[in-house]
Amino acid sequence: MIRLRRRNGEDVNQVARRSVSLFELRTVLSGRTSLLLGLAGATGFFIIWEVGHYITPEESQRFLPAPQEVLGALITLIVEKDYIADILKSCFRIFASFFAACLIAVPLGIAMGCFMRLRALLNPTISAFRYLPAASFIPLLLVWFGPTDTQKLALLVLGVIFFLVALILDNTKAVQPELIEAALTMGAGRRRVVTEVVVPAVAPAVVDSMRNMIAVGWTYLVIAEIVAASDGIGAVMMRAGRFLKVDIIMAGILTIGILGVATDILFRLAARYAFPWNRERGE
Amino acid sequence: MTMPGDQTLSRTAITASNVTRQYLGGTFTAVDDVSMELRENEIVCFIGPSGCGKTTMLRMIAGLEYPSMGDLTIFDKPITGPGPDRGMIFQAYTSFPWLTARKNIEYGMKIMGLSRQERSRRSDEFLTLVHLDDFGDSYPASLSGGMKQRVAIARTLAQNPGVLLMDEPFGALDAQVRWEMQEMMIEIIERENTTVVTVTHDIQEAIYLSDRIIFFTRSPGRIKADIPVSFKEGRRIPRKEEMLALPGYVDLERQLFAMMREEIQQK
Repeated sequence: MIRLRRRNGEDVNQVARRSVSLFELRTVLSGRTSLLLGLAGATGFFIIWEVGHYITPEESQRFLPAPQEVLGALITLIVEKDYIADILKSCFRIFASFFAACLIAVPLGIAMGCFMRLRALLNPTISAFRYLPAASFIPLLLVWFGPTDTQKLALLVLGVIFFLVALILDNTKAVQPELIEAALTMGAGRRRVVTEVVVPAVAPAVVDSMRNMIAVGWTYLVIAEIVAASDGIGAVMMRAGRFLKVDIIMAGILTIGILGVATDILFRLAARYAFPWNRERGE
Repeated sequence: MTMPGDQTLSRTAITASNVTRQYLGGTFTAVDDVSMELRENEIVCFIGPSGCGKTTMLRMIAGLEYPSMGDLTIFDKPITGPGPDRGMIFQAYTSFPWLTARKNIEYGMKIMGLSRQERSRRSDEFLTLVHLDDFGDSYPASLSGGMKQRVAIARTLAQNPGVLLMDEPFGALDAQVRWEMQEMMIEIIERENTTVVTVTHDIQEAIYLSDRIIFFTRSPGRIKADIPVSFKEGRRIPRKEEMLALPGYVDLERQLFAMMREEIQQK
């Protein structure tokens, strides 16, 4: 039993008495409760990390630095090592490559979802490419482009584009057929059906797929910046690894984590703003 | 003033001549050699057990599917594809979720090339017709199922189609809303003077809405019976309970139930 108190000190238990369980099935949570639980989970993680650091034998403690040491390393990086420039470089690589991938994958996925012959023509080949690990393209891209930004952008594009096409194809296939048929019976031609029905119908799902795939983009970033790179978050981590500076490696991981979450939130906000109609009643 | 379904004065709206629809390379016949003639301003229901081809027949009239054999015409022109002369209401909600109720209703008129002022004037009129005056700026997500369906109906009618096709239009609604919608349809059809073809498996709905009921047999779909709803004497009755009280209602309902049982029990 948890005693609940309102901000003004009034005892809520007088009003309603109920037990709160972590394992209550599919309860509806308020935004505040979700936020508090999320923060509690994150705090728990840092506590475990901290404890882990202190139970590690003294001589190996530098291989598992405490959270505050990692934070310290992060601040040192920013203040002394121009880390912000590396972060911006990595962000540029992610966003430029992802934008390029979307520019091709979104129209292509939607077109393949609309036109069966185009789908039959391209889908087997594109599906096959999905099974090739993007990292295996590194030697090839190095030969083609050298250790340049272009090489890194190309790798990031290859890492996400085939999955993105497949996801958007699936999103488009999932558009309710009656919406298209309704437009046809209203006299809409092919162009109208695609641009005025399929595109708006699939748009929220497309943004969702983009949000999921940019997360994958962040994972490829490190791979792209570990090989033949002198700048970017991955390169900083790689250099630190050579000198066994675990605190800097962890600071890099932390940076990517924070940027990843920030990107996710950005996409969610953009979707909420762009599709005000896509909310169920009472939400 | 002509009576609805008056065979002598009204034109022929739709004809089907020996229409057959097969699937799976001819191994499955959904509609088998169906011929019919539907008059202008007539309300016709296709009724029959599940899988009897009534929806396939409707979709062929809409131009969303093609007969394997036979011919379909609308006002003596062959049906070659979908078009705004045949408005269609689906069982699934088809009001576009990204448009407000008003923009939905205007969409069909936009396809037809009506001016902005004309669209706005007519959308007001049709919002009123389907009792959604206060919901013009609402998105479908914030409307109930019945209201979403009313948006779709208004959107279709605003195109002023010669024929209104409805495929189990109220099938997804609960009983009370379905009843309200049926009475609203009678009001609308009476006002708009539209020819209507409805697919339903609800016997009472078929009797209440239609001037004529075409009963389909279970696969392959053939016409089992073509029954005029003569006890209503060609009237459209605004209140359902008034129809239930008319002599002849129960007999027709019993007849249709008996036919339905016959079809279901046949293997």
